[in-house]
Amino acid sequence: MKDDAIVFKGTKEGLYIVLKEEMIFDDIVHELENKIKPSKRFFEGAKIVNFKGKSLTPGEYEELVDILQNQYGMQFLGDYESLCRNDVFPKEDQKDQPIPEPVKQPLGDEEKALFIKGTIRSGQLIKFDGNIVVLGDVNPGAYLEATGSIIVMGNMRGTAHSGTQGDYSTYIAAYKMEPMQLRIGDIINRPPDEKKYKSEVPEMAVVKQGMIIVEPYLVKK
Amino acid sequence: MGEVIVITSGKGGVGKTTTTANLGTGLALEGKSVVLLDADIGLRNLDVVMGLENRIVYDLVDVVEGICRIKQALIKDKRYPNLYLMPAAQTKDKNAVKPEQMLKLTKELAEEYDFVLVDCPAGIEQGFKNAIVGANRSIVVTTPEVSAVRDADRIIGLLEANGLRNPQLIINRVKIDMVRRGDMMNIDDMVDILAIDLLGVIPDDEYIVVSTNRGEPAISESKSLAGQAYKNIVKRILGENVPFMNLDTDEGFMAKLAKVFGFRKK
Repeated sequence: MKDDAIVFKGTKEGLYIVLKEEMIFDDIVHELENKIKPSKRFFEGAKIVNFKGKSLTPGEYEELVDILQNQYGMQFLGDYESLCRNDVFPKEDQKDQPIPEPVKQPLGDEEKALFIKGTIRSGQLIKFDGNIVVLGDVNPGAYLEATGSIIVMGNMRGTAHSGTQGDYSTYIAAYKMEPMQLRIGDIINRPPDEKKYKSEVPEMAVVKQGMIIVEPYLVKK
Repeated sequence: MGEVIVITSGKGGVGKTTTTANLGTGLALEGKSVVLLDADIGLRNLDVVMGLENRIVYDLVDVVEGICRIKQALIKDKRYPNLYLMPAAQTKDKNAVKPEQMLKLTKELAEEYDFVLVDCPAGIEQGFKNAIVGANRSIVVTTPEVSAVRDADRIIGLLEANGLRNPQLIINRVKIDMVRRGDMMNIDDMVDILAIDLLGVIPDDEYIVVSTNRGEPAISESKSLAGQAYKNIVKRILGENVPFMNLDTDEGFMAKLAKVFGFRKK
C-alpha cells in the first residue's frame, strides 16, 4: 500500500482526511488505523472537518466517523451531506497537472497607471499614456499629463491635464486641490483670482456641461 | 516699428525680472503697447511677478516650434489692456530655442507693439545670447555690491561686442542710509567704473517683496518709493528729462517739517 493512500490536509478550520479514489473500503479502514495508531496521542482531540477524495456510502461514512471519534478521541465536525457538496479537493490524478493560471480579466477600457512617490517639482513634466497616481505633492510649475485620469495623494498646486486625447470622462482628484490650472480634454480652467483658494476637503475635478467643476468627492459627514 | 529692450545683469538676483515687470507696466500706464518676453526658459519668474502664472497655456517654445501662433501664447495682463506677457517654457531648457528663432520672434513682436521688454536670464550662456539677439536697446541692472558690479561690467563688454552700443544702467536696491554712512558703494563710483549712462537708481523698498508675492508690480502703488523710481525711469525711456529723485527720505518728521518751513538741517 502506498504511503499517500490516506493523507491528512490541514486547513484553518481543521484537518481533512483525503482518501485515495481507487482504494476499497476495507483497505481504507486498515490504512487509517495504521496511520493514526502510532501517533494516537497526537491525533487525540484533533478536529476533523471532513473526508475528501473517494466517495463513500452513508454506511461507510458512519463507520469511519465512529472509528475516529470513539477509538481515537478525535472531534468530527462535518456531516455526510457536506462531504458530497464540497468534494472539490484536487484528486490524485490531477495533482501533477500544472496549477491553472489565474484567469485574466479582459482589461477592456481599463488603462495602465503610473505610480509616482515623491514631490513633483516646478519644471517637471510627467506624461503618461494611462492614469497617473502621485503619492506626494505637485508643486506650482509642475505638469501632469495623462490620457486617463489623475489622482494626487497630496497637495495639487501645479497644472494637471487629464484625458489629453480628448476624454472628458476622465477626472483629476486630489487630497488638497489648490491647482495652478486644470485641463480635461481641451477644456481649461483655473481658480478665480480674487481670493487665495484653500482646499478644506479632498476634491475632484470633472467635466460638467462643458466646464470643469471642482467638487468634494466624499459624502459630507 | 517698436523697440526691443533687453534687461540683463549677468548676476542673478539683482532685480531683472522685477525691473522688467515694473518698466513694462509703467510703459503700459503711459499708453504704450508692451510685450514682456520672458527669456528665462526653465526658470521662468516673470509670469509669477505679474500674477499671470495660472493663465499660461502656450509659451515661447511653443511659438518658435510652430505649435501655436504668437497671439495664442500672448497673455493679456489682468489690469492693463495694452500689456502682454509672452511666458517662457518651464519644462524645457535654454537650448530649446535658437538665436535665429528669437530674432524672428522679437522682430515680429516689434512690428506690432511699441515696446518688447526681454527679461534676460542670469549668466552669459545660451540664454543670454537668445535674449540679446533681437534687442536694439539694453538696460543693465546691478546692485551696489562689488560682485554685481563686476558681473555688470562683464555683461556690458559682451553687449558691446554684440553690437548693442550704449547700454543704460539701473542701480537697484540702494540703501541710502548705508551709502551715507559709507558702508555701501557710492553711486558715482559705480557709474565711474561701468562708464555707461545712468538710467535710474531704485531705493531698497520692502514693498517690492510684497508686490512680487502678490503679483502686482510696485509701479502701480503710489506709496512705494521703488515704484516712484521706476516711474521716473519709464519717463526717461520715453525720452523725457526727469531729474534724479532725492532719496534722502528716511529723515524724521521734524526734519521734514523743518524742510517745509525752509530750515536746513546741518
